[in-house]
Amino acid sequence: MTTETPSDVQNAERSAGGDASERLVTRYDSVRLSHGSGGKLTLELIEELFVSVFSNEPLRELTDAAIVENLGGRIAFATDSHTVKPAFFPGGDIGRLAVAGTINDLAVMGAKPAYMTAAFLLEEGYDMAELERVVRSMKATADEAGVAIVAGDTKVLERGHGDGVFINTTGIGFLADDVKLGVGYIRPGDKVLVNGTLGDHGIAVMSRREGLDLTVELESDVAPLNGLIEAVMQVAPNVRFMRDITRGGLAAVANEVVLRQPFGLRVFDVAVPIHDVVEQYSEMLGIDPLLAANEGKVLMIVPPGEAAAALGAMKAHPLGREAAIIGDIVKKPTGIALVETAYGTRRVLEMPIEEQLPRIC
Amino acid sequence: MTEGALAPGAFRPETYKDPQLVAQLKERIAELATEIGRPVKLMHICGTHEHEIGRFALRDLLPESVTVLAGPGCPVCVCDNEYINMAIQLSLTPGVILCSFGDMLAVPGSIPLEGERRGDVRMSLLDARARGGDVRAVYSVFECKRIAEANPDKQVVFFSVGFETTVVAVAAMLKRGAPDNLTVIEANYYTPPATSLLPELDGFDIEGFMLPGHAVTITGLRVYEHLAERGIACASGGFEPVDVMASIVSLLEQLRDGKPTVANPYNRLVKYDGNEKAKREVDEVYELAPIRWRGIAEIPASGYKLREAYAKHSAARRFAGTLDEVALRGAEHPKGCRCAEVTLGQIRPDECGVFGKLCTPDSPYGPCMVSHEGTCRAWYVYGMHKERLTVEAA
Repeated sequence: MTTETPSDVQNAERSAGGDASERLVTRYDSVRLSHGSGGKLTLELIEELFVSVFSNEPLRELTDAAIVENLGGRIAFATDSHTVKPAFFPGGDIGRLAVAGTINDLAVMGAKPAYMTAAFLLEEGYDMAELERVVRSMKATADEAGVAIVAGDTKVLERGHGDGVFINTTGIGFLADDVKLGVGYIRPGDKVLVNGTLGDHGIAVMSRREGLDLTVELESDVAPLNGLIEAVMQVAPNVRFMRDITRGGLAAVANEVVLRQPFGLRVFDVAVPIHDVVEQYSEMLGIDPLLAANEGKVLMIVPPGEAAAALGAMKAHPLGREAAIIGDIVKKPTGIALVETAYGTRRVLEMPIEEQLPRIC
Repeated sequence: MTEGALAPGAFRPETYKDPQLVAQLKERIAELATEIGRPVKLMHICGTHEHEIGRFALRDLLPESVTVLAGPGCPVCVCDNEYINMAIQLSLTPGVILCSFGDMLAVPGSIPLEGERRGDVRMSLLDARARGGDVRAVYSVFECKRIAEANPDKQVVFFSVGFETTVVAVAAMLKRGAPDNLTVIEANYYTPPATSLLPELDGFDIEGFMLPGHAVTITGLRVYEHLAERGIACASGGFEPVDVMASIVSLLEQLRDGKPTVANPYNRLVKYDGNEKAKREVDEVYELAPIRWRGIAEIPASGYKLREAYAKHSAARRFAGTLDEVALRGAEHPKGCRCAEVTLGQIRPDECGVFGKLCTPDSPYGPCMVSHEGTCRAWYVYGMHKERLTVEAA
């Protein structure tokens, strides 16, 4: 099985924020301590880079706080801080990750993400051209999701006290009154869906880590999922529960779902979509793709009557072409996530303990 | 020897995990078990075997009369305290960069962890790092070489842990010329002598060994003939579900026929005489010497020590003056830990009193719970200690 990164997504990324080769901050090649001082250089950075790229009314006002329209109901509110090594990896970068991460946290609550803030912790000496690429990538991702980045902050850490760039994003989204999602709504017999191949991000990033340097024909799946989730909820209004699958992979989310609950979650090994390349490298490195990280995947638990419609809506969306029903909720055993193998045998799918490392032999 | 589709020679990448083939092998095992007509205990001696058996829950495919036990197959688990303590001491020595495989970082030695109140908890390389030691996880010894070249003013020490597979890369690196500031902690173990020790143990009742596929790719199978001569069946074992099942079939066929030998069902990788080039290179750089297997015994000719021509790359020699010899030694396993018996296949992990209680993967007490190759960890993570998982659907 293979996935194609939707070409329209890639094109949007390339064209966002004007010509990416055009330098915006022209006076400095790297970040200086003064860029975080609140003085002249800070203002220059904000105007030349952040306002110019993120480009929206509340931000252009340069007020202490952004004023946004009344969303008119319940508001979902999420924050997430991001650090990734390397900052640029096949299929994405820390900017796309930071925006998609918070959007996905809002979207899985059933909310429609609207506004975000972005706070940067930059290390003195950080390459300005790289920062511009990160910021443009954030803008492209926010546009893809229909979200505006309306406020921000920049601090600069002395050289040696940071790791290039850290980004915190906080987002708010509108939550309709009739949205009822949560572990408490889950019932035995419900179906478990994912929107595509698992482990792509984890393996893509690991392949570029120092010391491994594998040539892998694989891209991270990092993407904002609000569009896909909205499409599914339209045809499957009684979705019980959603969570984005990130660090810890499917194993982490599956265990969070069943923790202290009067039901279990069963995954059928053969039904889980895994990219060929992920399968091969996982075998080689001794890594379990069910525990590997994702950044553009959601686990949905859907009543059996709506499973086919939900699956159809996922598959019709560019970010869900490889979607699959991978398992179900069972009466027994309770409080356990388990895997049913291709051989009809069963094993526990344990909560991941630490970051996965390649084995010795 | 099994013929047709079940013959290991017929296995192809697309059938390594084939459910139909596995089902046929399962049936064959059941037939053989019936023909043998008595309970049979088999043992594998490779951490990766236990891991794969757990991952695919393959024990559930075996008839009740066939038991497959895990033996001493985890390099992390058998690595003696002395080497772990040495790595910790060196990592806390100014000017030293200590490189280790990720698997080894969390394994406690015998140096007590100060300020820890849970009991007999000892220090690991991770604890050393938290106390300021320059400890780096590496994927290969060649990465250490690059680190040594990039840091000529530092001493780079590679914690060389592993069996006869892992030692090949270290030998190859040293033979091709390593920087002077690179030394290795010699903790490479050679398996065959340990397998000859097992039949000497009280109550030993293993009738067949599934040989470690990767290790015998290097050493070949001749070194296990001594087991067949003692009446113990042997068969090479690969790591795909079909390989594990085929190895069990081979062992049971030998037992049914009453003709123990050293069979090679994993013949797509393993040659009877092994990898001659690799063996030659290892032999140029290393010689076999006695080494202590953690919690088990000192076993003659079961450890790889650098030959005199390469002794300048021995960390034990280079730092002989700076190491605290007393602190290197210490009680082998923490109180209550039964890793030694688990490693020898004498008890199941869940028969140890601390398993799953004081000792869990997120807070391991003994080495078998730390390593991904460790039997206790595989049992815990894949739930092998639980009763067969019975599902009641909606």
